[in-house]
Formats: sequence, structure tokens, C-alpha cells
Amino acid sequence: MAECCGSKQTEAGSGSCCGGDKKKTVLVYACSGGANVAEIADKAARELMFGGCGTMFCLAGLGAGIPGMIQMAKDADVNLVIDGCPVDCAKKVFERAGVTNFAYVKVTDLGIEKKKGIRCTPEQIEQVVAKCREVLAAQK
Amino acid sequence: MKKLQVLGTGCPKCKKMAESAEAAAKAAGIEYTLEKVTDISEIMKFGVMITPALVVDGVVKVVGKVPDVEAIKSMLA
Repeated sequence: MAECCGSKQTEAGSGSCCGGDKKKTVLVYACSGGANVAEIADKAARELMFGGCGTMFCLAGLGAGIPGMIQMAKDADVNLVIDGCPVDCAKKVFERAGVTNFAYVKVTDLGIEKKKGIRCTPEQIEQVVAKCREVLAAQK
Repeated sequence: MKKLQVLGTGCPKCKKMAESAEAAAKAAGIEYTLEKVTDISEIMKFGVMITPALVVDGVVKVVGKVPDVEAIKSMLA
């Protein structure tokens, strides 16, 4: 569902329309890869969205070069990019798309080890969410 | 002939975008057509999920905000 006017941030997917208050457009992207740290990045992004910090958007859309999605990222007030590991896939997608206005969090920078075949924990997600909130607060 | 498309479901900002786009095209002295795309599924085909948005000759120029007339003029050049 399209989000109207860039002002609706707390209810992703809402079709409600605007004309009212001017909030910053905060878009959140996660690498959403296969390892535990990518699962953390993905779930942290969703937690931020449902917590009203911004709206999670499709990193694959940028990777695919969808013009509207690239322009949307360029026009956002804040883009928060969350990578799981030092391969920096999400960051590289942004760079290749020519979108330079983004804040950045990397899960492994927070001392969380990258592993395959294990599930992440709620505590790890909360740790990343807290870091993201801190980074977003610095953007405002 | 420039093809201008304003993507939006009809909120005040979408209407403002259409007015500003029209004003910019007239100020620039260019021939244009203006289409208002209000259908959500059609809007999403542009990869746009925040409205309003302005599309010029099929290229998405701005999303989620209404630039001033001068800024839109530069998008039409």
C-alpha cells in the first residue's frame, strides 16, 4: 500500500492520507540475508517500524534499480541502513544506487558474532534496535 | 511535449504537486500534458510507495515532498 505524503510513519502499509503534520520521512533498510546477524538486522528494522521510528522499505528494490524506489530513498529525510556483517551488502546497494544520504549500523560492530544455522535472540534484536534509535536520534 | 504525471490518491499535497507542476511547466514555457495517477496499483508500478510523486516523461523525479515551482522547473529542463 502506498504511503501518503511521507508523513505517516508509525503504521506501515497504512493507506491513510495526509495533508497534515510534517514529520520527517525516515526509511529503514536491512540486508535481510541468511545468517543470524542478517536476521537480527531484519527483525530490528521491523521493530523500529512498528515502534514508530520509520518505515521499513525494500532493499531489493534499490538493488534492482527500480527508479521510483531509488528516488524515494534520495528524497527521504533520513535513510537508516542496517547491515548484518562486514560484507556490507546493504551499504553497497546504496552506494551503487547513488544514494549517499544514509545513516549506518552494522550488527557485528556491536559484538554479535556471525553464524549460520542459528536463530537470533530477542536480546540481540533489542541491542541493535537500541543502537539504531541512538543513530536516528543523532540525525534529528 | 513533456508528459507530466502526478502520483497521488488525492490528498492536499497531491493537489499542490499538480498545481506546482502545472505552474512550473507554464513558467518554463513548455508544452505539456498533465495526468493525475490516483490508482494505488498504478502508482506502485512506478516503484513509488510514498506520495505525492512527480514523473516527467516516465522518469520519477521527486517522491514524498512538494518542491517549489523553481525546483520543478529545473526537473523539466
